[in-house]
Amino acid sequence: MTTKQISQLETEKYAEFAGGHGMGSAIFFDLVGNQLPFPAFDPRNLVIMTASPFAGTFVPGSGRCEVQGLGPGLYPVEWFAHSNFGGRFTAQLKFAGWDGIVVEGASDEPVWINVVNDQVKIESAKGVWGLNTWDAQEEISKRVIPGLKMGEWVELAQNYHTSQIPAVVTCGPVGESLSRLGCLLHGPGSQAALGGFGAVFGSKKLKAISVLGTGGVPIADPKALMDARLWFRQFQWDVDNPRDPEIFENGYALIAGKPKGGNVANRLPSRAVACASCPRGCKERTEDASTNEAVCAGTMVGGNDVMHQYGAGHWQVMATSGYIRALMREGVIGEGTEYDPGDLPAQGGGFGGGGFGGGGTGNSYWEALYKKMSTRDDKFGDLIAEAAARMAEKLGRYPKDVNDGTVRLTYWGTQEHYTSQVQVDWGYGSIFGERDLMLHMMSNYPLHWMAQERNPYLTAEEASDLYRQAMVPYEDDRYLVDYGESPETGIYSDSKIRLVAWVKHYEKFWMGMGFCGWRWPLCITNNTADRRGATPHAEPKFWNAITGQNMTFADSMEIGHKIYTLDRSIWVLQGRTKKMETFPDYIYDQGAGGNILPMYIDGEWKYDAGRGRKLDRAKFEDFKTRFYKFEGYNPENGFPTEATLAEMNMPEVAETLKKNNKLG
Amino acid sequence: MPGSKKPEKEVDAAKNKVSRRTFLATGGAIVAVDAIVSSATGNAAAASPASPAPASESYPASKGYILYDSRKCAGCTTCMLSCSLVHYGEQNLALSRIQIMQDSFGKYPNDIVMAPCLHCVDPTCVSNCPVDAAYVDTDNGNVRRIDTEKCIGCQTCLRECSQEFHRTVWNTSLNKSSKCDLCIDTPYWSETGGPGGKQACVESCPFKALKFTDETPEQTAEGYNVKLRNEHWFRLGFQDEDNPQPAGRGFGGFGASGEGSRRRKTESKTQPEAKE
Repeated sequence: MTTKQISQLETEKYAEFAGGHGMGSAIFFDLVGNQLPFPAFDPRNLVIMTASPFAGTFVPGSGRCEVQGLGPGLYPVEWFAHSNFGGRFTAQLKFAGWDGIVVEGASDEPVWINVVNDQVKIESAKGVWGLNTWDAQEEISKRVIPGLKMGEWVELAQNYHTSQIPAVVTCGPVGESLSRLGCLLHGPGSQAALGGFGAVFGSKKLKAISVLGTGGVPIADPKALMDARLWFRQFQWDVDNPRDPEIFENGYALIAGKPKGGNVANRLPSRAVACASCPRGCKERTEDASTNEAVCAGTMVGGNDVMHQYGAGHWQVMATSGYIRALMREGVIGEGTEYDPGDLPAQGGGFGGGGFGGGGTGNSYWEALYKKMSTRDDKFGDLIAEAAARMAEKLGRYPKDVNDGTVRLTYWGTQEHYTSQVQVDWGYGSIFGERDLMLHMMSNYPLHWMAQERNPYLTAEEASDLYRQAMVPYEDDRYLVDYGESPETGIYSDSKIRLVAWVKHYEKFWMGMGFCGWRWPLCITNNTADRRGATPHAEPKFWNAITGQNMTFADSMEIGHKIYTLDRSIWVLQGRTKKMETFPDYIYDQGAGGNILPMYIDGEWKYDAGRGRKLDRAKFEDFKTRFYKFEGYNPENGFPTEATLAEMNMPEVAETLKKNNKLG
Repeated sequence: MPGSKKPEKEVDAAKNKVSRRTFLATGGAIVAVDAIVSSATGNAAAASPASPAPASESYPASKGYILYDSRKCAGCTTCMLSCSLVHYGEQNLALSRIQIMQDSFGKYPNDIVMAPCLHCVDPTCVSNCPVDAAYVDTDNGNVRRIDTEKCIGCQTCLRECSQEFHRTVWNTSLNKSSKCDLCIDTPYWSETGGPGGKQACVESCPFKALKFTDETPEQTAEGYNVKLRNEHWFRLGFQDEDNPQPAGRGFGGFGASGEGSRRRKTESKTQPEAKE
C-alpha cells in the first residue's frame, strides 16, 4: 500500500503447508517474523487473505476466505490472528487465477484493490471511503462493471466473460475509524468478525478488495471428484425426502444441516442461501432484503443490518454492548459522567438488550451506537470504539471486571462462547489459541445441541463412540469424548490432551482450507442410517481428487500440527508465555452454567451438563504442562523446542526463536 | 498448489469499459470486430450474415428437459461447477451450460435468475445456425446440441437464442459456442447422460431445484420454472402463497420445545428500503 507496487508471490514455495491458513502463516513468518513484535496498526502488519485448493470447487462447505494478520481486537497482545468469511470471494479469487492476496504497508490516501483475472490494480477510493459496507460494495461493483445488471452476460475485455458480479470485501465506517470492533464484510451479512481486521484495513487506508475471475480450477481427477461429490449426498439433508422427518423437521435447525435456520431473526418470506459450494444454505434472503445472508450472531445483535452496514464485528459487539450496559448501570459511564453518551437514544432490542430480533435498520439506539464507534467524536464514542477489553483497561477495571465475570472476555479479549469448564476442547482450544475457537461442529453442533434436546437420537456412549472413531489418529481412545471429571478419562486426562490436539490440528489444516464451522468436521449426522458422519473419509477423498496427491487423514493432521506449531512460534515471538494461557478467575471460582455432553461417570456413559463445575487451577496447570509436552513444546514455558521444529522442517523458525531467546 | 493462472491477455476493465464482441461471418472467414454495444442481441441484425428468420421447419421435440424452481435455488452454483466438470474436467462457472445469477442485496424472489437451456420445441439456435453446427440429435432423444467441430464461432446461436439471457454459452477456450446436451457427452463422468440417463446438474443440486422431465413444458421461461418444493420444504419454515405462515422454525437444539417456541416473533411488517 505504501509504494502502490504489486508483486507476485509463487505459492509453490509453500506447498508443504498445503494452502489456506498454513500458507498464510508461512508467508507472514517469512515476510515479518523477524521483526516481531510490533503493533497491529503498524504499516508492517499484513493482511493475508487466502483461498485453498478447495476454493472454486464444489467441495461442500469449503468456500470461506481465511484472513490473517495481527489482530487489534485481541488482548492483551494484538496476537497474530485469523478470521474468515463465507460467500463467493475465494471462488472468484481462484477463478481469477490467484491463491491469495497479501496486503503490505499503508497508503497515504484511501484506495481499493481491483482484481480482474490477472489484472490487479490499486484504485482511488475517492467516493467510496466513508460509505457504509453495502453502498461501498455496490459502488465498487459498478466501477468494475459500469452498467452492471444482474442477469446479463458481460464480456470483460477480450474474451473474458461472465454472468457473475464482482465479489467485494470491505471495511465499514467502524473500521475506517480504527475501531477495534471493525470487521470485514462481504455481501450484506458475511463477516470476518473476529480480530478487528476491518480496523487493519482502515489503518492501511484500504477500503475494499474486489475480485472477479472468468477462469477455472483444474482438477487432477475429475471423475473421482464428481463421484466424491455425489457420494457426499448421503450426509446432506434431503430437502424432498428427509430421513426421520418426524424427529428432525421440527427443531434441530442448526444440527440437522438443513436449509434455513441460521437466521434467528427472520420470519419473512425468504429463500435459503448458500455460500459458494455449500449444500446446506443456512443463510436467507428475504422479500424486503432485510437480514439478507446474515446468520446466528449476525442476526442476534440489535439493529443487525445497521451493524453490518457500519462494519462492526458481531462477536465483539455482543461483549462490548453488554459491557456498556453494565457500566451504565453502575454509573461508571453515562449521562453526567466523563463518558457522557450525549444524545444516545434509549436502548432497543438485540442480544442482551431485550431478546432476539431487532432486525432491519430501524433501531435508533443501535445505529447511534455504531455511529459513535465510527466517528469517535466524543469521549464516549472514543471509549467504546476500543471494544470491551480496552474499555476495561482504560477505565482501570480490567482485572476486576474480567475476573469476576462482569464482562466475560474469557480468552484474549473475546467473549466466552461455550462453557469452558465443561466443553473443554472449546475452552482449552481457545486459550491455547488466540481467540474464541469458533469450531462449532466438533462438540457443539450436533453433539451438544442433540444432547440438549429432550430425546437425543444417540445415547451418550453411541455419540462418544462415533466421534472418537472419526478422530484419526486418536480413534482408539475410548474416552476421547468424555467430558466428565474422572481423573483417568475426564477433562484433565490424557484423553483430553489428545482431543484438544485433534481440535487444534483439524482447525489449522481443514478449517484453514476454507471449511465452514457449521459443516466441518462432520463426525456424526442425522442424515445417515447409522448416524456416522463424513469425517475422516470425505476430507482426503476430496483433497486427493483435486490435487492428485495421495494424502491420508493422518497426514493432514500432522501438517495441522506443524501449522499450529508455526502459529505458536509467532505468538511466542509476540510475547506469549505459559502464565498468560490462563483463564479469568471466574472460570475457577464460579460454577458453570452447564453444557450437556457425554460423560463417563461411575462406569457409565450418560449425558450431563456439568452444572456448577469449577475448573481446578492446579489440575489445569498440570494439564497445560502435559499438553505442551505432548505437542513437542517446552513444558516449562510452552515454547516450541529446537527438536520439534527440526522434525517439522522449520529450521528458520527455530533460528528466529533462538535469536529472541524464545526457543523452547 | 492447484490454481489456474490466466494467460496474458488484455483486460480493459481498468478503463471502466465493458466490451462485448460480435463477429462478422463472411464466406467462412471470421473477422473480429470490437464494438461497445448495450446488448449482444441488440446488435444481432448488424452482425449476422443475413437477417435470421424464425424457425420455419419443424423439429421433433426433445425427449428431455430440465425444469427448475427459482425459489428453491440457494445459489450455491454446484450445478454450474458440476456441468463444467463433467464436460471439460475443470470447475469453471463461465464454461457451465447452466447459468445461475444472483444479487446478494436483492429481494426474494427476484434475487436469483436461473438460466438453463430450454431445449425449445422451436430451437432458434438450430434453425439459425449458418453451418448446421447446432442440430437436433435424433440418435439421442432429439436433444438440441452443438457440434463443436462444425461450429465456426459466428455466435449467431447466442444472438438468436429465444431467451433474453441466451442459453447457448460462449466457450472462450475454444472460441466456439456450446450448449446443454443433457449430459450426452460427458467425458469426465462415469454416468450415462441424455434422456433416460442422468444429468450432472440435477444429480448434484443439493436443494433439488432442478428436475429432469421427458414431458414438453409450456414454451415459455415460466413453463420451465415450476414449483419443486413439497411439504418438507415448508416444514423448514419457508413460505409461499399456499403456505403463508412460517412453520417448524427452531433455533438450534432449542427446537420446538425450547427457545424456538419462546422466541419473540419478528413482525412481518414491511420495513424501509434496506439500503437507505
